[in-house]
Amino acid sequence: MFVRKQTRRQFGTLLGATLVVFPAPRNARADHANMIHSVDIKAFKYEPETLEIAVGDSVEWTNHDVAPHTATSTVFDWETNTLEKGMSQFVTFETPGTHEYFCAFHPHMKARVIVTTPG
Amino acid sequence: MKNLTVMIGLALAASSAVAQAGEAMNDLEIAHTAYTAGQLDIRYAHLALAVSENDAVRDFAQTMIRDHTAVNDAAGALITELNVTPQDNDLSQALVRGAADKRGELAGLSGKAFDCAYATNELGYHQVVNKTVAENFIPAVTVEPLKALLEEALVTFKQHEGHAEVMVEGLQCS
Repeated sequence: MFVRKQTRRQFGTLLGATLVVFPAPRNARADHANMIHSVDIKAFKYEPETLEIAVGDSVEWTNHDVAPHTATSTVFDWETNTLEKGMSQFVTFETPGTHEYFCAFHPHMKARVIVTTPG
Repeated sequence: MKNLTVMIGLALAASSAVAQAGEAMNDLEIAHTAYTAGQLDIRYAHLALAVSENDAVRDFAQTMIRDHTAVNDAAGALITELNVTPQDNDLSQALVRGAADKRGELAGLSGKAFDCAYATNELGYHQVVNKTVAENFIPAVTVEPLKALLEEALVTFKQHEGHAEVMVEGLQCS
């Protein structure tokens, strides 16, 4: 498995008080050497639809719709849990390439994460 | 509350059930009708899951249950927050009667006949509900959080309408 995923709750549990100084990201931000990038789910669209990140970076999806959504790999090797409105979850990408994904509940919702190797 | 004259043709799918609600509706009545419409679609979906063996139909039905439950949960939370009680009304009652008739009709079908009837009903139902929400309910509602919820729900319901169109086309019913 080239990804690992954590919900905000899980993340807080793992890092404990560190969560206080590592608040929910709105834009890409530093996490040691890696970054967490945000994708907003609004009106049945992923924003941005194409996101370029570096190996080891994470992507956090936040659902702003009243309808639940997921971010699910088109080859089913990773996915978020069901994201109700206001929920976030992030996935860490450790394999270069273009990772297409969609919403398992609304399959016409499609987007991609392009993972590159720095340097 | 602002009054609203609602002239809605409730084309409940393939049925000829048409209700003309020409009476003024207030916010609480609109909330009741919107909630009722969602609940009725959830009931259609449960019937579809019980009868249909078509993957596209079953996927659509599961989406209807998931999404309408989410919208109605949000409506329930808003009702609790505002400490109000939605008011039953002629339009809600017409919807309930029409849906009962339609469920009876659907329950007598199976196989492709059921799938086509369900899919066509879903398309017609969402077309009418979306038009009503957009053109009558949202402009008439005076309580801002309810208006915001209806606007948000309409985004979801329009997706359902598009999904239903694809489902109907895919079933090649005609």
